[in-house]
Amino acid sequence: MGTQGGSEAAAAESFYPSDEDIEKWMANAFDMAKDALENGEVPVGCLMVYNDEVVGKGRNEVNETKNATRHAEMVALDQLLDWCRHRDLDVRSVCEQTALYVTVEPCIMCAAALRLLNIPVVVYGCRNERFGGCGSVLEVSSANLPQTGTMFKCVSGHRAEEAVEMLKTFYKQENPNAPNPKTRKD
Amino acid sequence: MEPQMKRWKGSACDTDSWVAYPVLSDDQSQDVELIEAFAAPIVDKKETSRLIRELNSLYPLNGLQHIKRVRACKGKGSPHPLEVLVCLVSDAPDVKDVSIGSLLPSDGVRHDGLGEPFVVKVPVRPPLTRPQFELVSKHWPTSFHEDKQVTVALRGELFSPPQKATMHLYMMSAFTAAEAGKEMGMEAVGAVVVNPATQRIIAVGHDCRGDHPLHHAVMVCIDLVAQSQGGGCYSFDKYPACRFTLSDTDTFKCSVEASSQPYICTGYDLYVTREPCVMCAMALVHSRIGRVFYGTASADGALGTKFKIHSQKDLNHRFEVYKGVLSKQCEDLKSLDSHSRKQRLEDCR
Ligand SMILES: [Zn+2]
Ligand SMILES: [Zn+2]
Repeated sequence: MGTQGGSEAAAAESFYPSDEDIEKWMANAFDMAKDALENGEVPVGCLMVYNDEVVGKGRNEVNETKNATRHAEMVALDQLLDWCRHRDLDVRSVCEQTALYVTVEPCIMCAAALRLLNIPVVVYGCRNERFGGCGSVLEVSSANLPQTGTMFKCVSGHRAEEAVEMLKTFYKQENPNAPNPKTRKD
Repeated sequence: MEPQMKRWKGSACDTDSWVAYPVLSDDQSQDVELIEAFAAPIVDKKETSRLIRELNSLYPLNGLQHIKRVRACKGKGSPHPLEVLVCLVSDAPDVKDVSIGSLLPSDGVRHDGLGEPFVVKVPVRPPLTRPQFELVSKHWPTSFHEDKQVTVALRGELFSPPQKATMHLYMMSAFTAAEAGKEMGMEAVGAVVVNPATQRIIAVGHDCRGDHPLHHAVMVCIDLVAQSQGGGCYSFDKYPACRFTLSDTDTFKCSVEASSQPYICTGYDLYVTREPCVMCAMALVHSRIGRVFYGTASADGALGTKFKIHSQKDLNHRFEVYKGVLSKQCEDLKSLDSHSRKQRLEDCR
């Protein structure tokens, strides 16, 4: 990968997943989410792809760690960091060529974490009306935060209804009082 | 706690060096929005109740229930004792020369007892704080349901000297941790999680982003609190200043019964030397922190500077935030950091 030369911005600009990439990796993310649902876990599928390779994969680990920040994205980011460490690769240059595929819009915390690591593109399924950090509650993805990494692009709406249905099914099983996530009405 | 408290009694002047002010929501801290309205003198006091009744039905103040319809005239020498709000300028009929006759059609309100109208300003929303109330009262009287705690907090007087001594102590722990982190090449940020009910320190942490870019002091502390309850997912063994107190029964409280989500920081206070970033602020929402105290603001801060995540509409957990604890020392830490950041940039060149 010849990423040297050209500014960081230009490198991020040139990196964008193709429609086929999105189709393929989102199918993968949805399989993960379905699998989670069948095992009584939060049905969110999430993977980080670098150079056509999965370098991070996550599921929600809040309950077993008692750490409320262990969202699927944070787990996947940790795997990406380990992956870089084992191969002695520069984290920043890998991150700048990595896309996140996730079935639900990342929350405000995860969106900020993605910025801090300079991930340029996030592809997600449905909106996250309760916590969403890519526009639903706050727009962290494109906010003017010069000390908080770099902004990232969002590709949203891929199989959104399916993602919502899985969340609804999960919350109905888990907690009848939990509010239902809503879909975008456009 | 007792011996520590005694130690701090002697240095009361330390706690006089800072004041903790609340970081209020935008609604509470914004300037009040004013709109124009027509008022008129009531020259015949006996007509007052009839005028109010008739004006209320012709020009009801919809959504402006906080505004008083009538006010007493301030100056003693005023020829009339009362003034009444006739209508909003936006509700008035569109005429060139505004007069009491043009505002009030003869079949709606008899203008007996009313003088000629003049323009006043009234607030669109009820005042939420005493400063807002004092501001709007200069224009027109409104009702005000005062939150006494907010009033006292805005004066910087919410915490008593003994409380401030305790807060000072906790922030000193955060400060010391920040220095230890700095020694190891991290950013100089420290944080402490406290159970205010038992006055026990649950966790102390500092920035560890040299090894992991997301290990900000707050994220470190959250994992340490999880560890104190038998969870957690990182090891901070190589950082002696990052530590936790194994919980006794009191800290296990919510993790067991609160079914699916471990809201591990419920009821706890966080002390952090500088304002948390967006990631850390939202992590505190997810962890259900009780209150946050920080020393000094930061450029991209999310608890007052760029966002107010603690009072964000649509989020399911809110908490109180106070800034300014040990402000001078925390400010010094921060400038130490920005200095070394500049140094690093220069070294790169
Ligand atoms: Zn998240
Ligand atoms: Zn942070």
